Amino acid sequence: MEWEPKIVAFLCNWCSYAGADLAGVSRIQYPPNIRVIRIPCSGRINPLFIMSAIKNGADGVLTSG
Amino acid sequence: MTTKPDKVGAVMVLGAGIAGIQASLDLAESGYYVYLVEKQPAIGGTMPMLDKTFPTNDCSMCILSPKLVECGRHLNIEIMTSSQLVDLQGEPGKFKATIEQKARFVDPDKCTGCGSCAEECPVKVDDEFNQGLGKRKAIYKLYAQAYPNAYAIDKGKCLKIKKPKACGKCLEACQADAIDHSMEDKTIEIEVGSVILVPGFDAFQPEQLSYYGYGKFPNVLTSLEFERILSASGPLGGHLVRPSDHKEPKKVAWIQCVGSRNCKLDHGYCSSVCCMYAIKEAVIAKEHAPYALDTTIFFMDMRTYGKEFEKYYDKARLEQGVKFVRSRVYEVTETADGSGNLVIRYSNEDGTITNEEFDLVVLSIGLEPSRDMIDLAGKLGVELNKFNFAEPPSLTGVGTSRPGVYVAGAFSGPRDIPETVMQASAAAADSSVILAEARGTLVKKREYPAEKDVAGEIIRTGVFICHCGINIGSVVNVPSVVDYARTLPGVVFADEKMYACSQDTGVQIKEAIEKYNLNRVVVASCSPRTHEPMFQETLKEAGLNPNLFEMANIRDQCSWVHQKEPEKATEKAKDLVKMAVYKSALLEPLKGVSLGMNHDVLVIGGGVAGMNAALNAAAQGYKVSLVEKSGALGGIANRIRYGMKGEDVQAYLADLAAKINNNQLIKVYTGVEIAEVHGFVGNFVTKLSNGEEIQHGVSIIATGGDEYKPTEYLYGQNQKVKTLLELESDLADGKLAAAKNIVFIQCVGSREPERPYCSRICCTKSIKQALKLKETNPDANVFILYRDIRTYGFYEDMYTEARRKGVIFIRYSADSKPVVEASGDKVKVTVTDHVLGAPVSIDADVVGLAAAIVPSENSKLSQFFKVPLNQEGFFLEAHLKLRPVDFGTDGVFMCGLAHGPKNMEENISQAKAAVARACTVLAKEAIDVEGKCAIVNKKKCAGCGVCESVCPAKAVSVDPTEKVAVVNEALCKGCGACASSCRCGALNVKGCTNEQIMAMINAL
Amino acid sequence: MLRMQKLASAIQDAAKKLLEEKKVDLVVGFSKGSLPLRSTPCFIRKPEDAAKLTWDCSCENNLANYLRKRQDRVAVVAKGCDVRSIVALINENQIDRDNLFIIGVPCQGMIDRAKVDAALEGKDLVAVEEKGDSLVLKANGITIEVGTGDLTHDTCKVCRYGNPVIYDMMIGDPVPDKPEDNFADVAAFEALSPAERRAALAAEFSKCIRCYACRNACPMCYCAECFVDCSTPAWLNKSTGTDDNIMFQAGRVFHSAGRCADCGACDRACPMGINLRGMTRKMVKEVKELFGYETGVNPDEKPALAEFKADDPQPFLVKE
Repeated sequence: MEWEPKIVAFLCNWCSYAGADLAGVSRIQYPPNIRVIRIPCSGRINPLFIMSAIKNGADGVLTSG
Repeated sequence: MTTKPDKVGAVMVLGAGIAGIQASLDLAESGYYVYLVEKQPAIGGTMPMLDKTFPTNDCSMCILSPKLVECGRHLNIEIMTSSQLVDLQGEPGKFKATIEQKARFVDPDKCTGCGSCAEECPVKVDDEFNQGLGKRKAIYKLYAQAYPNAYAIDKGKCLKIKKPKACGKCLEACQADAIDHSMEDKTIEIEVGSVILVPGFDAFQPEQLSYYGYGKFPNVLTSLEFERILSASGPLGGHLVRPSDHKEPKKVAWIQCVGSRNCKLDHGYCSSVCCMYAIKEAVIAKEHAPYALDTTIFFMDMRTYGKEFEKYYDKARLEQGVKFVRSRVYEVTETADGSGNLVIRYSNEDGTITNEEFDLVVLSIGLEPSRDMIDLAGKLGVELNKFNFAEPPSLTGVGTSRPGVYVAGAFSGPRDIPETVMQASAAAADSSVILAEARGTLVKKREYPAEKDVAGEIIRTGVFICHCGINIGSVVNVPSVVDYARTLPGVVFADEKMYACSQDTGVQIKEAIEKYNLNRVVVASCSPRTHEPMFQETLKEAGLNPNLFEMANIRDQCSWVHQKEPEKATEKAKDLVKMAVYKSALLEPLKGVSLGMNHDVLVIGGGVAGMNAALNAAAQGYKVSLVEKSGALGGIANRIRYGMKGEDVQAYLADLAAKINNNQLIKVYTGVEIAEVHGFVGNFVTKLSNGEEIQHGVSIIATGGDEYKPTEYLYGQNQKVKTLLELESDLADGKLAAAKNIVFIQCVGSREPERPYCSRICCTKSIKQALKLKETNPDANVFILYRDIRTYGFYEDMYTEARRKGVIFIRYSADSKPVVEASGDKVKVTVTDHVLGAPVSIDADVVGLAAAIVPSENSKLSQFFKVPLNQEGFFLEAHLKLRPVDFGTDGVFMCGLAHGPKNMEENISQAKAAVARACTVLAKEAIDVEGKCAIVNKKKCAGCGVCESVCPAKAVSVDPTEKVAVVNEALCKGCGACASSCRCGALNVKGCTNEQIMAMINAL
Repeated sequence: MLRMQKLASAIQDAAKKLLEEKKVDLVVGFSKGSLPLRSTPCFIRKPEDAAKLTWDCSCENNLANYLRKRQDRVAVVAKGCDVRSIVALINENQIDRDNLFIIGVPCQGMIDRAKVDAALEGKDLVAVEEKGDSLVLKANGITIEVGTGDLTHDTCKVCRYGNPVIYDMMIGDPVPDKPEDNFADVAAFEALSPAERRAALAAEFSKCIRCYACRNACPMCYCAECFVDCSTPAWLNKSTGTDDNIMFQAGRVFHSAGRCADCGACDRACPMGINLRGMTRKMVKEVKELFGYETGVNPDEKPALAEFKADDPQPFLVKE
C-alpha cells in the first residue's frame, strides 16, 4: 500500500471551513486522511499548535484562513 | 397608561440580494421586525453568482455567507421566499402589503438540504443560477450555500405535478418527509410601517445586438457566464475552459458597454460596474490559468472611479499585463477554420481598423432595471425615470415618489456592491425615522429556563451521532461510531439518530440531558456553521449553558467527500468524534457580559454629510452633538452653487442649517475641534478644544474634504486659470457671460502618482458647468480636455447632451498633458488631439481646472479613535465591499468625503447609512457580549504589548500602571490573534482555549 | 596607553561621574574575571567602586539581560548587540528608556575562548596581551600571537552593528562599517531536503539536556512562565526526547522571531555545544528577507511580527 500522509488542518470558521463544507455540498471527493480543527480565525493559530501537531505525528499541517 | 402606537414597527424589504440582506439586518438590529420578501426560493441575489469581488479580490460567497446565515436565523427577520408583492395600500407608518407566495412543494423546516431527492429526480433543466452553463433538476436548491438550505420544486418542470402518477421518485428518496406535491400558492397580507424596494437588476440580454454574435457563436459569453466559469463552485469547477469544447483559451477579450451607453437601445446610461468587473475578470482569469493568458479589454472610457479602483486598474495594466484597447468594436465573427475562435473587428482611436483573433470573447453586459418591477412600480405608485429605474428624488439618497417607500441598490440606478450596501443602510435609516415611535414594539425575544450550575461536576458527556437519512449512514458505519463513542473518556451516553436536527430528536436530546444528568453534549452530524446555534438552543431549553456543546462534522467534511471509502470515512468519523469529545471535556460555561451604555451620538464635521447624519439620528430620537471645526456649518458645500441635477445647493444648505438649529436634540459646536477621545463603544468621553466634555455611545466621522490647490497649469499665477469651484461661483454670479472660449482640464491632481485615485465627480461637474455656459451663451466654445470621461450611471445622459450641444471633448494622455501659457489677455491652451494626431491650440478666456478632492487632515482623529487611514489620507473602512461605513473599531462610523470622493447625493446617502449602522448599536439597552472573548492571566503577562499591536479590534491594551494586558470585552471579537501571538501564554480565548485545541491535537 | 585600557578608563570616569552626580543608582558593566579573557558582568552602586569597571575583548555577555523591569535608574555599558536588545526590550515595555543611561561602546568583536583554546591546543591560558590587531596568548610553555580577527566569535564576524544605534554617551571611536551579511552559514542548512533537515536537527538537538541555559542567557526570554514549563496546556514533555527537544528549540527560536539581535548569548551558554545559532540565524534571515526587518536597529520601527502591512510578502500562500 502506498504511504498516505496524515494531515491536520486548522481552518477559519468564516472562510476555509465554509469552503470545506462547500466541498461537501458539492460532493467533491478527496482523500480521507485529513482532520480538520475549526478555529474562530486564522489569527487563532498559535505556531505551537502546528509544532505540536507535527510532533504528534502529523506529516503535514494545513493552515487556512 | 401606554397606548399602542399608530405606526407599525415592522418593515417590508422587497428583494433579498445584498441590499435586502443589509437593510434587513440593520433594521432588525435596530428594533424593527422585518419581512424579507424574495422572488427566488433562496436569498442572496446576484452576489452568490460572482466569483471574486473587486477591488479586494475577496471571494464573493465567502464574504456574503456570514451575512446569509445571520440574516437567515435572525429572530426578527421573517424570510418569505418564492414570494412577490402584488399590492400595497395605506400610508407611511401603516401599510398593508399583499404578497403572493408560490408553492415550494418542499417544507423548508423539514428539508435538511441533503440533496437525495435531486439525485433521483429524472428531469434535467438548464440551471439559471449558472447562466444556463450547467443543468439542475426539477427539484433543486438555487445554489450550494443557499439559505434556506432547502430544496424547491420547479412547478413547470416537475413530472408529478403535471401528472400525479408519472413520477414521485423524490418522495421515495426523501427520508425527512419534506416533500408535498399538493402544496398550493398562498396569498399573505402583512402590516408594515414602511417599505424598502431592493429588487436588484436584470442583466442586459445581448442577443439583441446581433453584431456581437452572442447566441450565434458558442465562444461569445456574457460576463455573468464568465463569473460562473471562474467560480470554483460553478459548472466547470473553476477551470478556465471554453464551455463549448472545454479547451483552455489562450486569448480572451472583453468588450465593454454592451447594452450600456447605447442611445439606440434607450440605454443612454452607464452601467457603472462593468469596467471594474471586466478588469477583475481579466486579472482573476490570469490567476486561474496555469499558462500565460493573454487578456484584452476593448473600451471607450475606463471608468474606475470608485475607492481604490484606479489603483486596481493601474496594477492590472502595469503589473499584471492586462491589455487595454481604447476602441470601437464593430463586430465579432467566427473564424472559418472550425476552431470556434472569434475575430473582433474594431477601429482604433486614429480611425484605423484592426481585426484580431481571440479564443473567447466576453461581453461586459450592462445592468437593466428589474423587469418585474416596471409593472409593479406603477401599481405601487413609484415613479420611474426614463430608463425605468427608480431614481431617487434629488438629495434624498434613497427616496421614491411614494412617501414611506424607499429604494436602494441597482433598482435606484446602476451601482456596485459597496454603494448598494451603503444605500441599503441609508434606506433602513430613513425607514427608521418614520417609525421611530414604534421601535421595539414588534420584535421578539426568547425566554429560557434558569441555567444549571455544572461547576465542579464530573464530566458527563452525551454523544448523538446522526445518520442524516442516508447521507451519513450510507458511507459511515454509524453504529460502530456510536460504540466507539461509548469508550471515550467522560462519555456516559451515546446514541444514533436518523435526523439529529429534527424536532423530535431535539426533545430526545433534552430528555437525555435530564435522564443521564449530562453536562456536555456532542452531536456528530453536519456543519456547526449551519446547525450549532440550533443545538445550542436545545441546550438552553434544557437549562445547560450553550457553550457546553461541541459538534463533529461527519457529513459535509466526511461522508459526502469520501463516498467511495466507507471504511476510512468511518475511521475519520471516529477521530472527529474523539476530537470533539476530548474538547468538550474542557468546555466551560460562558457568561455573557452586559455593560451599560450611553445612547448619544457625536458627529464630527458639520458639512452636508455631518448635518444629514445629525438630523437623521435626531429624527430617530437620539441626542446628537455636532462638532464643526470652522466657524459655520456647511463645509465645502458652502462653495458649491449647483447640484449635479441643478439643485440650488445654497438653499438646501440653509434649510439643513435651519432644521439643525431648530432641533432640540441637536447641540451644535462650531469653531471647536476634538482634543481627546477616551473610552469605547457605548462609553466614549470626548474632550473638545474648548474644554467641554461630551459623553456619547457612538461616533460618526464626517470630516469632509477639500479642493486640491493646483500647482500646475499656471494656477495661482494667472487670474484666468481657476478651479471648478471658483469657476462655478463666477458662473453663478454672471461673471462669465462674455467668455467666448472656455477650456476645462480634467484630472488636475487626480490619477497622478502622488494621488493615484479618481476624484469621481469632476467629469460630471465640468460637463454640468459646460452646459450652464452653453445655456447662458450658446455661442461660447467650450472644450473639455479629458483622460477618460467618467460620467457613470445616469450622468452619461448629461455627457450625451453636452456633445449634442456642441461641447468639444478632446482626449489627452497622461504622458502628453495640455500646455497652458499666458498669451496677452488670454490663455493659450495646447493639447494633442488623439483623433487628429496633431496639436490643437485654443485661446481661452477662462480655464477651469478639475482639481482633485483631497481629504481633511485626519491623522489625529485616526489616532484618537484607533481607526485607519488609507494611503491618500481618507479613512479606511472595515471592509471595502460589505462594511463601507464601519470601522474595525466598534461604535465608530464614517460618511462623506472623509471616506473618499463622491457627489452630494452619495454623501447624503452615506450619511444616512452611517446613522443606520450606528443605530444598530444605539437600539440596544446595553452592550451585550457573548463571552467568547480573550482573557488575560495577569500572572503570566509580561506586558510586552504584542497583543495590543496585533489586535484588529483594538480590544487589548497594556495597562500603563499595572503593566499587564487588559481586554475590553465590549470590543473583543474572539479572533484569538492575541492568544496566538502571546509567547508567555498569558492570553487565551474563552470557548476556544489553548487547552481545548491541544486536546483535539492530542486526540489524534 | 592601549586602546582597550583607554576605553576602560573612560568608562570608569563616566560611571563615577554619573554616580557622584546621582544621575543613576546603578552602573552595569564588566569587571575583570579571575582568569584572563574572563570579564564578567558587574554592578557598581558607589562612585568609588567605578574603578572596578573594565573593557576588553572578552566583555561578551549581553548586559541587556540585567535591565528588564527595573525600578531604579541604571546606566549600562553597552556594545552594539546589547543596544539592539535594549531597543527591542524598550519596544516591548520591558525597559523604561527614561530610566536608562546608555554608555555606548563601539565593539570590534569579542574573543571566542573556544578558538583561543584551539589555538593553544588545549593548554590553559595564563596571560593575554593586546598588541595592535593581534593578541599575544601565553600558556604553559608557549607564547603565540594570533590576529584578533581570527579569534572573534562567529556572531561578531558578521555583525554590522558594532556601533550602538542609540546611546546617551559614546565612548571610543566608531568602528568601520562591514559588508552586508550574506548568511553563508545558513545556506548549507537551506540546501538540505526536508528529510535531511529533520535528520540534521535531530542530530543536533538529541544532545540537548534541557538545562535551559540558552533561555536564561537570552535577554529576550523573560516570560514569567516559559511555554516549556506550562501545564495548561502541556505543550510538550518535560523529559528529553529528541522530538520534544526539537519542539522546545523551534518554539524558542520562533518566539525570538523579529526579536533576536543575533548576539550569540544562547550559543555561548550551551554546555553541550549545540549549534543554536544555526536555527536562530535562519530565523533572523527569514525575518530580514520577508519583512526587511532587523531587530533593534531602528527604535522607531515596529517589530516585524507586531505589525501587519498590506504588502507583507506571503510566499506561503497556496495559489489557485
